[in-house]
Amino acid sequence: MSYGMLFNWARPSIYIPTLIGGPTFQLLFFAALGSYATNRSPAYFAIGNAVQVSALAGVFGMTMAIANERWFGTLPAVLATPANRLALFAGRFMPFVLNGLFVSLYAFALGVIFLGVRIAPGSLAVVGLGLLVTVFSCTAIGALQGAISLRLRDGLFGANLVMMSILLFCGVNIPLRELPTWMQVVGNLLPFTHGLEAVRQAADGAGLGQVGGLIAIEFGVGCAYAAAAFALFRFLEVSSRRNATLDVR
Amino acid sequence: MSGARSLRLIWFVTWFNVRMLLASEFFVLLTFIGPLIYATLGFFLFRSGGGTAGHTLLYVALGAGMMGVWSTTLFGCGGAIAWQRWEGTLELLVNAPTRYDFILVGQTFGAVVFGFYGIVATLIWGVVLFGMPIEATFPLILPLSLLAAVVSLGSLGMLIATTFVLYRHANALGNLLEYPIWLVAGLLVPVATLPFWVRPLSWLLAPTWGMEAIRGAAIGTEPPILAIVMCFALAVVYYLAARVALIYVLAKARRDATLSLQ
Repeated sequence: MSYGMLFNWARPSIYIPTLIGGPTFQLLFFAALGSYATNRSPAYFAIGNAVQVSALAGVFGMTMAIANERWFGTLPAVLATPANRLALFAGRFMPFVLNGLFVSLYAFALGVIFLGVRIAPGSLAVVGLGLLVTVFSCTAIGALQGAISLRLRDGLFGANLVMMSILLFCGVNIPLRELPTWMQVVGNLLPFTHGLEAVRQAADGAGLGQVGGLIAIEFGVGCAYAAAAFALFRFLEVSSRRNATLDVR
Repeated sequence: MSGARSLRLIWFVTWFNVRMLLASEFFVLLTFIGPLIYATLGFFLFRSGGGTAGHTLLYVALGAGMMGVWSTTLFGCGGAIAWQRWEGTLELLVNAPTRYDFILVGQTFGAVVFGFYGIVATLIWGVVLFGMPIEATFPLILPLSLLAAVVSLGSLGMLIATTFVLYRHANALGNLLEYPIWLVAGLLVPVATLPFWVRPLSWLLAPTWGMEAIRGAAIGTEPPILAIVMCFALAVVYYLAARVALIYVLAKARRDATLSLQ
């Protein structure tokens, strides 16, 4: 229910231009730019961006799912209920993970049809697992951003910044090893980096034995962000009650 | 309304809108931070290819800066009329004795001028982080190129403002049209490398000629006269189309009594 109510983009008139049209052109733009600038295959950029567009749903969706409670004036009512906070918080993940997966699979299909993306048939399950875990960790950083947004004037500022950071730091278009050391460190601390690498290797035919470690790290990073998001959410709830700022906009 | 008073009105609204946008975190991100990230991405990508594909770093910086200008134009102008509706000022502005299209011109030019701050930020970023040399082959033509780009993008912004308002979720159209125009206008990837059928599309777009005018003056081998002329010609076409669209939109809103509806 929170998905339909709080996710502003859930209606077709916004969903189609934003989560179908936008990713389509993002894929084409970076495939064209990347292959022109580096002479690499467009498929390399198509895979990176096909995974990255899942963050549109995860990061923006979760930010809206939490921050919009405040903007729509429903936050006090939600927090007044005796419902288990963890269940309340965790229940919001599922639709956005599924949504992110859908957007990403659509982008992958585009990549396969138009940009020469090929996935080793034996690795489809591993690619799927890598993708699922990556989308989860992106949704987790979206949850953290949503919790931060409970105190900010414009929550989507942070969501946009996270999206751009993923594009730059996480090996979407530039291999991590080609970035300066400090950028590699930032990339390794962000969700997405290890998951994307796992998806890339699995698409080339690597099995779970080879990329299982990367997927596990990505899952760990995602869980860490989810835990931080929940802790911040609880902290802000308590401090908002204490300072009577629960509904201040 | 005399010409001087009209210009004063446009100038006032332009400046007012620039100040409004400066207070918006979203537009600061779009205009200042976004282009820096895309410029960095562009620098690394071209460097990763073992060079700059025959282009200078200035080529990348100007392209990334123009990407920011387009984003600001798209979002700043796309929602221009809708914001006036939300803020409850649309009825007052439409019924004021001043011409509403002049107010809209000021508003859209404000967004475009604000967007051009991003180009300056990108150039500074390139100089500081990548040691990019600032040079201009035709320094005397550069101001004219910038003016031509601002005028053509401003007029396109007005067309965007008057047509996007017909779609209930103008921001969603913004999300849709950011990347394709970056691509088709040749801001980082030359149009010549794209499929042939894309080229006629690019000729209809102000960012294509605006970029060519600025790049031509900065790093071109010949003065970008054609690009400058095309900018001004397109500006006239966009403005006339926007006027027609505005008359239609306002007449429809009055007829349906939806001028103040959100």
